[in-house]
Amino acid sequence: MTLELQKPRPIWQIMFSTHHTDVGLLYLISSLTFLFLGGSLALGIRAELFLPGSQIIADAMTFNRIFTVHGTTLIFLFIIPFASAVGNYYVPIMVRYKDMAYPKLNAIAFWMIPPAGVLIWLGFADFTWYATPPYSIISAPGPAADMWIFGLKILGISSVLGALNFVVTILKCKHPDMSIGQIPLMAWSFLSSSLIIMVAIPTFAAALLMLLTDRLGVSGFFNPAMGGDPISYAHLFWFTFHPEVYVLVIPAIGMMYEIIPRFSRKPIYSYSSGVFAFVMLSIVGFSSWAHHMYATGMSFTEKTVFMVGTLAAVPASAMHVFNFVATMWNARIRFSTPMMWAVGGIALFFSAGAGGVVNSAMPLDFTTHDTYWVVGHFHLFVMGTIAFGSIGYLYYMFPYVTGRMYNETLGKIHFILSFIGTVLVFFTQHVLGLYGMPRRIYDYPPIPEWIAMNQIASIGAMIIGISMAVFLANMIHSAGKGKFADTDDPFGLGGKYYYPFEAKNPSH
Amino acid sequence: MAVLVGLPAVDYAFAAGDEPGEYLDRRVLIWNLFYKMMTVAFITGSVVSGTIIWQVWRFRESHPKAKPTSYEGTDW
Repeated sequence: MTLELQKPRPIWQIMFSTHHTDVGLLYLISSLTFLFLGGSLALGIRAELFLPGSQIIADAMTFNRIFTVHGTTLIFLFIIPFASAVGNYYVPIMVRYKDMAYPKLNAIAFWMIPPAGVLIWLGFADFTWYATPPYSIISAPGPAADMWIFGLKILGISSVLGALNFVVTILKCKHPDMSIGQIPLMAWSFLSSSLIIMVAIPTFAAALLMLLTDRLGVSGFFNPAMGGDPISYAHLFWFTFHPEVYVLVIPAIGMMYEIIPRFSRKPIYSYSSGVFAFVMLSIVGFSSWAHHMYATGMSFTEKTVFMVGTLAAVPASAMHVFNFVATMWNARIRFSTPMMWAVGGIALFFSAGAGGVVNSAMPLDFTTHDTYWVVGHFHLFVMGTIAFGSIGYLYYMFPYVTGRMYNETLGKIHFILSFIGTVLVFFTQHVLGLYGMPRRIYDYPPIPEWIAMNQIASIGAMIIGISMAVFLANMIHSAGKGKFADTDDPFGLGGKYYYPFEAKNPSH
Repeated sequence: MAVLVGLPAVDYAFAAGDEPGEYLDRRVLIWNLFYKMMTVAFITGSVVSGTIIWQVWRFRESHPKAKPTSYEGTDW
């Protein structure tokens, strides 16, 4: 058992350590910091949209800057690093190895994140997380745009190095007695998502370079005035970032595979179907990128291919859900905080998936394209599924990291408020999209239905904000003054929790 | 279900010729496919969501009929 905070050490020992749990702790603290920073921007956006007209944000460009940095922060600086935190803590232990395969590379991959975060936040670019060309090339103000491009470039390298480390650790460093078919499903999830990163990210890395040289005026890949085509950027971007959706969601599902059997007091119903579904998602994730681009004038045949390719993810996703449902069947479930987050995450995963079927079907996609429906859909995925799975796992690993228990009542209040807030914000945004409200707008006409739904969504966001304040207070207080946890069985469930292999770093 | 229901419908859509008059049929067929998919998605979604809600109520450890699983007390 490794208890990071139980034996206090000078901060520099953790900062300059290459041990996987120390690097995991750094990832954890960094990702949670960016969660609160990015979340506070979301509250600003929702406060602005509470009523038509200018409320608290001075102008449209500032609004654009805020939602650009909000999206970039929460995707690249919270969700992905949080998964790396969990992977750093658990993957070496799950495969029975003393550390990550390349510890120094692991630390380097982490230390690329803070400078990238600084670049993104100091620049505060305004061209959306998609870096929309040709605007991003022709008139997006520098140096904000260039700082964003460099920041994303650094984050891409960090992701690829991290992914490489996970793949080698799992495939080459696992204990010789352990076959690939015996590693836990959460380790499988990291293997799958890491492979996706290694295939997908280089494409975006190339697109970023092209974007930068276009901005410098030395090329015109995406600049129509120089014979370029912004649609080609869309292809390059979505070839990376549709699979990236699976990079985000697969580790969160892997975390649920740890929580749900544990709190159901049963093994997972079908290990092999879980592995199969992870592998399937990794493959079909690459067959659906152009469903983001139905409105760009593709042929009927192309659109049909990508529609079918998108729907191919449905059976694999359903296999995970059915696996969880079958595991909980005839169980004796303890609804501690981690389990509540995991089950809530499954429920919202299914809702988000149903909305995804609409987006993938080309006829209705034209109705919902670039409306608040899309905002509601992907936020339901990233907040309702990915963040729910991740936060649930944070509660699950809290005793492992700190040696103390969090406050259970506050954890449940956090979940209930977040669940209510998430439903209020993102279900309402779906309906708002069907009423025709475009996304990424600073102001809107005083249509009564739009005003009412924006107010519901903003109230939901405030509820989530309150829940996050409860969460922060709980984490800080419990890490220092919480009850000492029974680290063999912190949730009183029996059985083995955290894979009983000691960390072998001498400093521990 | 995707193979049995979805693909034949897509095949049917592509069986239409390229004449302008038949172009509209493709749109009608693809809408038809969409409605079928949504019907399947919402029915399945309702059943699964209902099942999860029922499981949360029925298999919670405080339920009067809750009983230990066969794995409790072991090092599974």
